[in-house]
Amino acid sequence: MKTIRPPLVAFAAALGCALMASPAQADGEVTCNSGPKDKWKPMAELRKKVWAEGWQLEKALVQGDCYEVYARNEAGQVLEAFFHPVTLKKLIVYRRGQEIFRAKGFDPAG
Amino acid sequence: MTLLPRATAKAILWLLLAVPAALMLRGLVGGEALPMDLLHPSGETSVRLMVLAMLPGPLIDAFGPNRFLRGWLSIRRNLGVAAFAYALLHLAIYVIDMRTIAAMLDELGLPGIWTGWLALFLMILPAAVSFDRAMRWLGRGWKRIQRLVYAAFVLALAHWLLLDWNWKPAAIHLLPLAMAWLLRAWRVSTKVTRERTFA
Ligand code: HEM
Repeated sequence: MKTIRPPLVAFAAALGCALMASPAQADGEVTCNSGPKDKWKPMAELRKKVWAEGWQLEKALVQGDCYEVYARNEAGQVLEAFFHPVTLKKLIVYRRGQEIFRAKGFDPAG
Repeated sequence: MTLLPRATAKAILWLLLAVPAALMLRGLVGGEALPMDLLHPSGETSVRLMVLAMLPGPLIDAFGPNRFLRGWLSIRRNLGVAAFAYALLHLAIYVIDMRTIAAMLDELGLPGIWTGWLALFLMILPAAVSFDRAMRWLGRGWKRIQRLVYAAFVLALAHWLLLDWNWKPAAIHLLPLAMAWLLRAWRVSTKVTRERTFA
């Protein structure tokens, strides 16, 4: 091991900041507590809901027990959002791994 | 590799390296995949090729050269260049997906995004000097330039982690390298003590 160089320290510090700047919630692990699937609203209604947000839908799918949506908002930002399959309530929204919206009282860990 | 002429062997290697890209592009052209669906496979292929390019060095230090490791070492530069090519493909897909420069600039400050850009920039120099003549020109400096790949690799993993918040896939790609590095460190340290004892 050689002596530690300043660029290396700056690099490590920047990386550390980046890793701490975002909330640690794997989006594959969002839980919606949505119950049996036969009570879920159809995906077509989810699409309408996304449209009503003013978003442009790219992809809608089932992720765990949630509806997950990839979309762009009016500003052109890429969003990944989770909706409750029964109420179609918007629960949590990420932008490139950063949480930018969370419904009041919602706990993504279930 | 000794059974085939060098040029033929190299052509076959590059044909194999191009297979994942061909599959991705087929999905895109055929309409089965959105550009955003290809961000993951192109990025992951780049990371995997980086791992493959970085493994033979420490393995040879740990086990000593054998036929297999020497063969692997002889294609290492190709693997590194392919990793860079997949990073460029990843960027091209990103540009197609984002559509406008403004949208790309708008998210440049997000940690999950700038780590990707920085990883790519750090790969440019090592990739640019990876032909024989540059190696001869640069001499020992060449190795120093190739060390940028370590930083690029760490940043690529950070980029992955920051987008995904799932540590497992990133950790799985780090594991073989971490093991090879540990093995090398262990071999080197035991060798040193052995030499001391018998000195
Ligand atoms: C030019 C700069 C780069 C940009 C703008 C960029 C952007 C992105 C974006 C937008 C995603 C998609 C995340 C998602 O699925 O939501 C992604 C994923 C990924 N990128 Fe990059 N990237 C860049 C460079 C790199 C480089 C150089 C590497 C590796 C050497 C890399 C490896 C990955 C990997 C492994 C993923 C998969 C993450 C995942 O979705 O699970 N990226 N990148």
